[in-house]
Amino acid sequence: MTTAPSAAYLPHSPEQGDAAARARQVTKAYGSGETRVAALNNVDVDIRRGRFTAIMGPSGSGKSTLMHCLAGLDAVSAGRIWIGDTEITGLKDKQLTRLRRDKIGFVFQAFNLLPTLNALENITLPMDIAGRKPDRAWLEQVIDTVGLSGRLKHRPGQLSGGQQQRVAVARALAARPEIIFGDEPTGNLDSRSGAEVLGFLRRSVDELGQTIVMVTHDPVAAGHADRVLFLADGVIVDEMHNPTADSVLSRMRRFDGKRTS
Amino acid sequence: MLLRTSLRSFLAHKWRLVLSLLAVVLSVAFVAGTLVFYNTATTTFDRLFAATASDVSVQKAQDELAANTPGRTPTVPVATREKLAAEPGVKAALGQVMVATATLVDPATNKLVGPTTGAPTLTGNWTDTPRNSVDVTSGHVPQGADQLVLDADTAKKSGLGLGSRIRVITESGNHDFTVSGIATFRTTNPGAALAFLDTPTAQRILLGAEAYTSVEVFGDGSRSNDQLKAAALADLGSGFEAKTSAEQQKENAAGVGSFLSFMKWAMLGFAFLSAAVGIFLIVNTFSMLVTQRTREIGLLRAVGGSRSQVNRSVLTEGLILGLLGSTLGIGAGLGLAVAMIRLMQAVGMNLDASSLQVTWAVPVVGYAVGLPVTLLAAFFPARRAARITPMAALLDHAAPAEPRANRIRAAIGLLVTGAGAAALVAAAGSPGSTGGLLLGAGLLATLTGSVVLGPLLVSVLVRLFGGLLPALFGPAGRLAQRNVVRNPRRTGSTAAALMIGLAVVIGASVVTSSMVGSMSDQIDRSVGADYVVEGPGGPLTPAMVDAARRTPGIDHLSTQTRVPGELVLPGGATVRGRLIAADADFARDFRLPVASGTADAVFGGGISVGQDFADEQHLKVGDPITVNYGEGRTQTLPVAAVLKTGNQLFDHRFFTGVSTVAKGMNGPAPAPEVLFGTAKAGADKAAVLADLQKSLAEYPQLMVKDQAGYKEMVKSQFDQLLAMVYGLLGLTIVVAVLGVVNTLALSVVERTREIGLLRAIGLSRRQLRRTVRLESVVIALFGAVLGTALGLSWGVTARSVLSEQGLTVLTVPTGTVLTVLVGSVLVGLVAALVPAFRAARMNVLAAIATD
Repeated sequence: MTTAPSAAYLPHSPEQGDAAARARQVTKAYGSGETRVAALNNVDVDIRRGRFTAIMGPSGSGKSTLMHCLAGLDAVSAGRIWIGDTEITGLKDKQLTRLRRDKIGFVFQAFNLLPTLNALENITLPMDIAGRKPDRAWLEQVIDTVGLSGRLKHRPGQLSGGQQQRVAVARALAARPEIIFGDEPTGNLDSRSGAEVLGFLRRSVDELGQTIVMVTHDPVAAGHADRVLFLADGVIVDEMHNPTADSVLSRMRRFDGKRTS
Repeated sequence: MLLRTSLRSFLAHKWRLVLSLLAVVLSVAFVAGTLVFYNTATTTFDRLFAATASDVSVQKAQDELAANTPGRTPTVPVATREKLAAEPGVKAALGQVMVATATLVDPATNKLVGPTTGAPTLTGNWTDTPRNSVDVTSGHVPQGADQLVLDADTAKKSGLGLGSRIRVITESGNHDFTVSGIATFRTTNPGAALAFLDTPTAQRILLGAEAYTSVEVFGDGSRSNDQLKAAALADLGSGFEAKTSAEQQKENAAGVGSFLSFMKWAMLGFAFLSAAVGIFLIVNTFSMLVTQRTREIGLLRAVGGSRSQVNRSVLTEGLILGLLGSTLGIGAGLGLAVAMIRLMQAVGMNLDASSLQVTWAVPVVGYAVGLPVTLLAAFFPARRAARITPMAALLDHAAPAEPRANRIRAAIGLLVTGAGAAALVAAAGSPGSTGGLLLGAGLLATLTGSVVLGPLLVSVLVRLFGGLLPALFGPAGRLAQRNVVRNPRRTGSTAAALMIGLAVVIGASVVTSSMVGSMSDQIDRSVGADYVVEGPGGPLTPAMVDAARRTPGIDHLSTQTRVPGELVLPGGATVRGRLIAADADFARDFRLPVASGTADAVFGGGISVGQDFADEQHLKVGDPITVNYGEGRTQTLPVAAVLKTGNQLFDHRFFTGVSTVAKGMNGPAPAPEVLFGTAKAGADKAAVLADLQKSLAEYPQLMVKDQAGYKEMVKSQFDQLLAMVYGLLGLTIVVAVLGVVNTLALSVVERTREIGLLRAIGLSRRQLRRTVRLESVVIALFGAVLGTALGLSWGVTARSVLSEQGLTVLTVPTGTVLTVLVGSVLVGLVAALVPAFRAARMNVLAAIATD
């Protein structure tokens, strides 16, 4: 596969200040020589500020790897990545940790919360770690947005799966990160709770101006995004603006057909 | 099948079981090592005794009372040897002179020659016995009044060789010799120093008479030892005592045996304590393994595994751990035994490390310790595993919270602890044997109660003081605070292991420091003398007393000596007692706590008794007591004073005058053992001490101290004892620390995802390490605080119970308490090193992805 196609998916006018995260010619390979497997192959991505981006692809396509690299959780084999104006490739663990703490929010598929802390403590944890005082008004707004006011003193064990994910979203929002990464944030939820959580993510983009990148294999989830990137075999093969669940689904079908043919 | 799954599971979790294994190995190694060491030591001595005992040894017959009078060496006349040599069946009869009371000194350095750690220095005549323990390997046997043969070990240690001058200090004075030969032991020398003179010289300076201490008979093989013995006794008539080779060996072995067996039991006791502490560690490990495998066990149940199969599979894992740990422990025990033998060699007891005595009892006892410990520890987690329902396989969160510390537990814990505390309070109020029983019961009950209550106390204490952690250490503090209480039972049992060891440390140190404090207090209250002079083992010679008396600045001296006697009371009862014979000046130097009567009358022909003894035997001043000194010498003395009890210097002693005893014994006054000196009024006491030390300088074996020096010496003796106890407790504490490491390491593994999450959202490695460290310190500190509280309550109670045994003053060793608390923080930090490092090194992505 050549690397040329990925250039087609760069935004047409790449203004520096507009990108919350950028990746250039990112390659992530495991092993070496004959056994070398490339999970990402010279990927270029721009994540625009204040937008909700979904990354889709079949399992093994490298979508999770891409997110992990963008979020500074995983090191790349080649290429460069920026979060805002900061280049994160080449940063030491200490600086990466601080970057994740101060600029990035996470919502994982499961096990998002510390069982020993209550909901409120979980929400303020990143600021606690940073030794910062949370902005009261903002915190209240976030908590209101995700609808958790009555459950702040509950431990995760006392919350439903949907509630737990909402706490996780609130935690990601509360610190006002530059960008929030979601790794299948609704993957473990029933469709109603999932829709709720996606609704909050959407609203946080629309109302709070948050930037969100979400990895998913669910076309319905991707339908909430502003833009969908399609990944296959470590390469971005397509993108779609203002998607709907149906359009994503049909694109996926086409894509599946292409793959099997 | 079952065995195979257990074995697989064991291997799969081998790294998580390493510390449990280590705990078993350590305890078993200590037990096995102790046994091997004991066997090897006894064998070394047995071989020595067997190699050197004569067929029959003939001595002067004497009763026990007379034999123990200081300064008396029983002898047999020279003619005895000739008579025995003429007996039929006797190949040789050799007159032997051997005393343990002479002191060897290097005149060039004025330093002691020979062991100073308890082994005897034996000085005697050189005889060519068929079973000599030594050979002269260089030089020649002693000939004439100037020659001495020294054993090789002692010569080497003291830097003496052929031609060196050596001084022998005896009651008859100082005698200088030239080393004419070096003798080497045929078997392993356990540590005694041997010096040989020729027979006339030995008789002259060691006995002051032409006699022998014993005649050693060697048969020609035509008659048995028993026949030889019977013939000898029949020939010599009364007044003699004969022992066959077997009897001599038995007697000698009993002498060292009691010391060795005390050591053996003390060490085994501490080994069992550490094994008990190991139980906590293993319980924690298995509980965590069962918790982590909840889903797996649920699946096993879902596909038809029965409860008892699940139960047995966990127990089998415990069994494998126990078998492996015991086997390794027995092996390690051999190494430990060699190490102990080397250690004993360093302090002067030579044992034969080349022939370790491993009897069948060593593996048997090793497994008997290791297997029950692990099975007992696996029992409760196994039962919990069996209760896991098949549903657990389906549950999303496969790690359910372990049952919380519940009300029943609280009730039982409070009840047992309360009963124990009540027993301790009651014990404190009733000194004596009832108090002792109550103390024992209270000790056990408070210990058990604290272990049961531990998990609850964790929650309570963290609720009360836990807020300090976030306040002081920020987010790491908060995480640590929550982690400590997330599983109170685990925290409780980890801390309990530490608590047990530290409680014993604190309890023992309260008792010993109270002993030292009481002794010092009693000296202050009742001793008027400024100086004390004491010799090791033997009595003081007249020359020493004279030298002390001639010291300028000394106003007067008083002496005391112990005389064994049997007291016949007016009621007819007889009591073995320790008479303290002192001269009249003793009453000036010691303020006897007289309840009735007068001190002067005691040393002027009377006897004193203690208040407790007087009450028990219904004695009062004026009642007659008949004293039996043995060998038919008796004397009737009036009770001249009744002494108040509660002073270790005077309790359980019967004071009387030395001249009174001389009269009763129909002979010279017994030699003094201790000398008390008092400086002239207005003299510089420090200068007089220096003078006194100078006048006694040629007797380096003597201890010459002033009051402060004496107290210091008593204290250092107790400190040594305490150091030994601490050393042995070290094993228990090591196992407890391993327990903390184990709990933390397993917790880190268990919380892998959590750690991954924390790292992902920005917790730095440093903060993570700090979290683990804080948790560790809190556990250790919690154990230390509980242990200190328990130990203090035990020590304080024990002191009260022993108050009539002379522990009049309670001294709390604040230094030790502080050391324990500060030390526990350090222990917590050290225990967290590896787990914290591993937590921080964890790969964030892998940690998040962990199932």
